[in-house]
Amino acid sequence: MMLCVVNNCGWAVFDFGTYKNEYTNIWLRSSEVLPEASAHDSPFLRLESHTGMRRIQFSFYIHYRIINMSLSQLDDVRIAIAEQVKFEVLTHTQELDNEKARHQITRSFISDTLTVPSKEMYLYASMASLGDDVYYEPSAVALEAHMAKLTGKEAALFLPSGTMSNQIALRTHLKQPPYAILCDNRAHIYRYEAGGTAFHSGASTIAVSPTNGHHLTLADVQANIVLDDNVAIAPVQVIALENTLNGTIMPQEDAVAISDYAHSKGVKMHLDGARIWHVAMETGISMSELCKPFDSASMCFSKGLGAPIGSCLVGTKDFIKRARWFRKLFGGGMRQTSILTASAAFALTHNFPRLEYVHGLTRKLANGMKELGVNIITAETCMVFFDPSSIGVTHAELAQRAGALADPILISGNPRLVLHIQTSEEVVTDLLALIRTMAEEEKAAGYVSPAQTDEHRNGKGNIYR
Amino acid sequence: MGSLDAVRASIAEQVKFDILTQTQDADNEKARQQVARNFVSDTLTVPSKDMYIYASMASLGDDVYHEPSTLALEAHMAKLTGKEAALFLPSGTMSNQIALRTHLKQPPYAVLCDHRAHILRYEAGGTAFHSGATSLAVHPANGHHLTLADVQANIILGDDIHFAPVEVVALENTLNGTIIPQEEIIAISDYVHSEGLKMHLDGARLWHVAIETGKPMNELCAPFDSVSLCFSKGLGAPIGSCLVGSTNFIKRARWFRKLFGGGMRQTSILTASAAFALTHNFPRLAAVHELAKKLEDGLKKLGINITSAAETCMVFFDPSPIGVDFAELLKRAEALPNPILIGGSRLVVHIQTTKEAVDDLLALLSTLAEEKKAAGFVYSPQANGNANGNIYIRAREKSK
Repeated sequence: MMLCVVNNCGWAVFDFGTYKNEYTNIWLRSSEVLPEASAHDSPFLRLESHTGMRRIQFSFYIHYRIINMSLSQLDDVRIAIAEQVKFEVLTHTQELDNEKARHQITRSFISDTLTVPSKEMYLYASMASLGDDVYYEPSAVALEAHMAKLTGKEAALFLPSGTMSNQIALRTHLKQPPYAILCDNRAHIYRYEAGGTAFHSGASTIAVSPTNGHHLTLADVQANIVLDDNVAIAPVQVIALENTLNGTIMPQEDAVAISDYAHSKGVKMHLDGARIWHVAMETGISMSELCKPFDSASMCFSKGLGAPIGSCLVGTKDFIKRARWFRKLFGGGMRQTSILTASAAFALTHNFPRLEYVHGLTRKLANGMKELGVNIITAETCMVFFDPSSIGVTHAELAQRAGALADPILISGNPRLVLHIQTSEEVVTDLLALIRTMAEEEKAAGYVSPAQTDEHRNGKGNIYR
Repeated sequence: MGSLDAVRASIAEQVKFDILTQTQDADNEKARQQVARNFVSDTLTVPSKDMYIYASMASLGDDVYHEPSTLALEAHMAKLTGKEAALFLPSGTMSNQIALRTHLKQPPYAVLCDHRAHILRYEAGGTAFHSGATSLAVHPANGHHLTLADVQANIILGDDIHFAPVEVVALENTLNGTIIPQEEIIAISDYVHSEGLKMHLDGARLWHVAIETGKPMNELCAPFDSVSLCFSKGLGAPIGSCLVGSTNFIKRARWFRKLFGGGMRQTSILTASAAFALTHNFPRLAAVHELAKKLEDGLKKLGINITSAAETCMVFFDPSPIGVDFAELLKRAEALPNPILIGGSRLVVHIQTTKEAVDDLLALLSTLAEEKKAAGFVYSPQANGNANGNIYIRAREKSK
């Protein structure tokens, strides 16, 4: 077994298989220069099997310390600066910290953005291409081509976030003001993008409350849209829909009807499809069919799909060309992006199919809560919106009790519970057990649940405080 | 029509994607070799395998909420630069633009900078777009760096309603690889602060100044209210920049970061790569500078004009004294059995540039000089040299 000596401090990986020669060379070079190099006081070995991987057979990690070769060429002043500059970002207990974090995520209902990359994902992604995405990065180009094909559009663009993706989509569609966009009043682009629509594009937003309390219909759009060229108004130039919205699915017929109408009026259609993957999985409608009514669509890799970072915008060639320019302007032009785009590719392949499990688990949780007398507002894909007042419990109380469990459950204290690919079966069981306990406590204290009303079930008003 | 399960399976078949090519390892070897012979930019530096292995072991948070490695890196950068707080960002462009946006409160206002500055030329009009600010572009009288005299001669102050007064003076260090004398920076800063204005530093390559001059980072940053630094250039990290400033400044900058769409999730793979770069790649900049100087010496020996000296990692040159133009040189370099990639008048040396690449480039230029001489070329220097003073000529044709 060979000691692998690479650089100052930190970790080295010795890979058998493809990389053996490279590390052998490094070891030989090091031993020539620093024969006195020795292993750390308390090295530890961990053997991992990656038989599922194409190239790497297995690897092990050794923690050690050696003298930094390159410092020997610097004078004292520069060595002092280098000592200030250097930074060890791994904690002494990083492995344990990460185990703890992974475990916490299995018990967190706060968001699916918390999903973390698996080790397999990073191993795969670290093998990808080595370009510069401002010039040419092969993996980014390949992923973008795949996403375009998948969604039935001409071109695609990888971006650091869904916020940037949506805002750039709007900015690219909107040419000269005055103009407005129309969207659901619960929409992410309206509520959670820090006023981006107004800031980046100078556009007004017509925020519509859907009459059915669930999704916008053509009737809603027609009742609220402004289109004429009266000098007092800012006409709608883009209709932006969100699917899923609060985890609920917009019926495709409604999207098509709105699209036909919008296009007949020369108005563009944008889809905030951050979680469109869930619609495809739940309904069995293909990605290209779901995207068809829209001129542009934004999709996230970093939420339910579990990639670390990133979103994708799709549209026509001209649209994406202009969007790429805006991406640079917004500061989203990144360099060696392959670690991110390859993680996204891994997620598409390995995590997308797991959304079915997530939806099944969501239904299990929602049904269990319903049986306990909790009002379930919606539970169509990966989110449950609920109102526990029917059993005499508030969201805040539930969150506090859940956090105080021996093995804490993390809930945000608002009506939303999000399940994801890393949510465990156990946590669902435990949460239901906690709710049952609290319901019984309330009953014992004399609480009587009110009759359920239709209004509650349809989720009118703002359910997401 | 199959069952829903069959339909889902077929969708999963469409969705899946293997991004690695059949020959990915060989492709990457080739890419690494090419980077070693690429003088176009130091943004092309690629993460080493060790860097990714290290980074993949870092923390697992969500940076919009709480990401431990990212917070740790930001704390380190704040301490290193002598500022209160720091913010990790996806790019230098976003870092600079957010810095300006955060300093600028209510228009009308202007930003004063060098006419060659990145914030003016290469950020797609960001200063005007994001902040509605006018840019006052100043030509340094000495042709090398802005002085206090330049600033005072050009600055607009006061509340005359015709004007957009300067609220931020932004310097860049290094600029085209050259170092601004720290005394000049201090003089400008003292003046700017005495007028109640702000100082921002585009320090994308400030690391090079520290290594070359031996001045510590906090001393270099002291005259500035905010500083932007890059991890993805000479330091060789894959992605990212860092903005530093006061606690309140960074708090507001973080808000702008979300607004600009720079709020990313599991960022530890990037921040830990940056940490690796600080530890392992920063010390290597000294050797980079030596190699750049070696390149410059070689060019000079051939009779080539140096339009901007190799003070750090770049050298700007003009091969017309040997009868060669950039387009020709570019083509011949690319056509070598082991190609060399150049972009024009700027040659950037980085931590992955090999000595062989430098030697081969000099050898090529020597060959070309001989060819031209044999063909009867005689150099007659123009009286006025380069009329518009633009030494940064991009000759790369968009032939892809």
